[in-house]
Amino acid sequence: MLGVDVGGTFTDVVCVRDGRIAVTKVPSSRTDPAGPVVEGARRLGVEGATVFNHASTMGLNAVIERRLPKIAFLTTDGFRDVLDRGTIHRPLDAQTDPAWRRPFGDAARPIVPRYLRRGIVERMRADGTVFRPLDEDQARAELELLKRCNVEGVAICLINAYVDDTHERRLRELAREVLGDDVAISISSEVSPLAKEYARSSTTVIDVLMKILFGAYSQRLDRELRELGFDGALNFADCAATLLPWDEALRKPYRIVFAGPAAGTISSVRLGEAMGTGHLVCADVGGTSTDVSLVVDGRPFVRTTFELEHDLIINALSTEVSSVGAGGGSLVTVSHGGGIQVGPGSAGADPGPACYGRGGTVPTVTDACLLMGILDPDGFAGGELALDVEAARAAFAALDTPIPYGERVATAFRLAVAHMAEEITDVCVRHGVDPRDFSLVAYGAAGPMLLPAALELLPLKEVVVPPHPGLFSALGLLSTDLVYYDSRSAYVVLSPDTAAEIDAVYAEMERELRERVGPVAEGLPVRRSFDGRLLGQSWETPFVQLPDGPLDAGTIGEVVARFHDAYEARNGNRFEYIPVEGVTYRVELVVPADKVPYVPADAAGPTTPQPEATFTLEHLARDPLQAAIHRRERLPVGAQVAGPAVIREDLSTTFVLPGQRARVGRLGEIVIEREEQA
Amino acid sequence: MHSFPRPQERHLHVERTPVEGACPECGAPDLAAYRVLSEGGWWDVVKCQRCLASVRRDPAPPLGSLVPLGTTV
Repeated sequence: MLGVDVGGTFTDVVCVRDGRIAVTKVPSSRTDPAGPVVEGARRLGVEGATVFNHASTMGLNAVIERRLPKIAFLTTDGFRDVLDRGTIHRPLDAQTDPAWRRPFGDAARPIVPRYLRRGIVERMRADGTVFRPLDEDQARAELELLKRCNVEGVAICLINAYVDDTHERRLRELAREVLGDDVAISISSEVSPLAKEYARSSTTVIDVLMKILFGAYSQRLDRELRELGFDGALNFADCAATLLPWDEALRKPYRIVFAGPAAGTISSVRLGEAMGTGHLVCADVGGTSTDVSLVVDGRPFVRTTFELEHDLIINALSTEVSSVGAGGGSLVTVSHGGGIQVGPGSAGADPGPACYGRGGTVPTVTDACLLMGILDPDGFAGGELALDVEAARAAFAALDTPIPYGERVATAFRLAVAHMAEEITDVCVRHGVDPRDFSLVAYGAAGPMLLPAALELLPLKEVVVPPHPGLFSALGLLSTDLVYYDSRSAYVVLSPDTAAEIDAVYAEMERELRERVGPVAEGLPVRRSFDGRLLGQSWETPFVQLPDGPLDAGTIGEVVARFHDAYEARNGNRFEYIPVEGVTYRVELVVPADKVPYVPADAAGPTTPQPEATFTLEHLARDPLQAAIHRRERLPVGAQVAGPAVIREDLSTTFVLPGQRARVGRLGEIVIEREEQA
Repeated sequence: MHSFPRPQERHLHVERTPVEGACPECGAPDLAAYRVLSEGGWWDVVKCQRCLASVRRDPAPPLGSLVPLGTTV
């Protein structure tokens, strides 16, 4: 099994074969994005692999940096500025700033410039009747203009087309006639037939952009992987890190615009299943930021939209991930008041922390950990990079602050941890969960080094360091199923009279879904859910699960009751006397795929292994402390390590604080608890 | 008291000055210069009259054509 994560800087390829993990890193290329992927596959070997799972930030980066093909946007006459206004949300810090501009607005960097957003004379009413017929002559004139402008794609999103798609389909036919078959076209009634025109418009625009960006790319990838001897399945991960076969992904490619942080959440879910725990806080500590997500009862929180940048949203299911600007590479600076501050700036990969010796002079959290003795200057990144202790020391000494040197280092470490703990607290509060019931999964290369210290600040149950924490997100790509899904909107009040109408919507979607998936779908259940609201509300309660079996006058009461249950769980109130209106109906079919197995070792009694060596832990406490050094691969199941100690492995270091105890579980995971709990 | 003539036209349009050259987007030789009020204030633009692509866009005075008396004495 191979997984590839195409980032902006590096393309990481991970291969799991016979239980052994191999990794390679290839610099990403903007001009030839498929090249590094194929090169990584060639290095690790793809012959005989069953799956090649692909996640990429390519689409998101192209949107953020506006490296986009020239496309046009056709909409109902009078509505072309829908794309410019967004949802009109203004960030808090811009509320009083008259110079603030929406990043994708016409005065900033529009995704589609205004002259390529053209109005088409037509109008469909919200009930699906025609108010103004499609003016084909006017449409042709606009399309001729687009032809002269040499557009590569056209997004078509007409008002109320989610109710009746006749005009959109006809406009697509006209576009084909005028522009030819080489121009990519997306229509909103196929891409995302959901109510609310802005998200439907932006989704259609992103869809056509991704069609152009991923079209030739994925065909080339498939062809070249086959030439290397790969005969398995090529899958793309979506915004929720679930997998889609590449041809299915290209049917609605807006769903693969981004796949990254969610893979770590999926990996955590799998680890939790194997450990027998479903309540997890997942924290991925990278160089620049920490991504925090929540898993309750084995299910991550999924949003119905994904925000590419402020207010630029698309109707893609996405795992909810919150970020805070604190990571291993976060810069340590001095505030105006003379105090130490950490982040949100980062040293990045180049020049990197001062101790990398690549010219960085501003200290970072990694420098602080090195000066404390947590990091081994000769064993960093598997020994590939020797760390310069003197450079780190000089960087901290150069800070313009009256705070004593040792306190600067300790404060940098503790502040970084405090930022992460604050974000974790925010996530828990936002979702109304009690952290005492949750385990914190610490991953990313710097996660095990920093997050155990969060146990001093948060009432979490324990910190879990998974096997291969630096590769944990990439392994998430090899830990997930193929998920096919579809959705459709219809404003219908749920009642015995309307049950058949809603059932027909589900039945049609289910039939189309099974047709698309083919024979492999036989015998697999289709999960049905809906987004509903109390009649009169303008927002929805998403993902209300439907009971099994057909929806009819006899079962609609159960559906309404489930809505009220979900509403109460989410909002704390129950309004049973208000009718419930269904808005969006969803179907999902999960096809099991090959996954990285977690094979538990035989249970073993507690042992206390001898440390490999000891070191002096500086700056954490008033006086230096003697701490143990262990190698992770030499710790057997059941081994217990009392803090202060570090547990080193090639790509990561786990720091066990004084007053904490670490034990090795049957899956190879390290579980860290407070001493009084252990 | 000021006395302004009542407009006789049904719609008033800003005066557009033809500009030499062709539109780089659609190729039409139909460029014109005029002032528009857009997000960010007044702008002096050169736009293609066929596809409306902006060929040039320069910030105009903050109050557009209005010149307060105090600024001229």
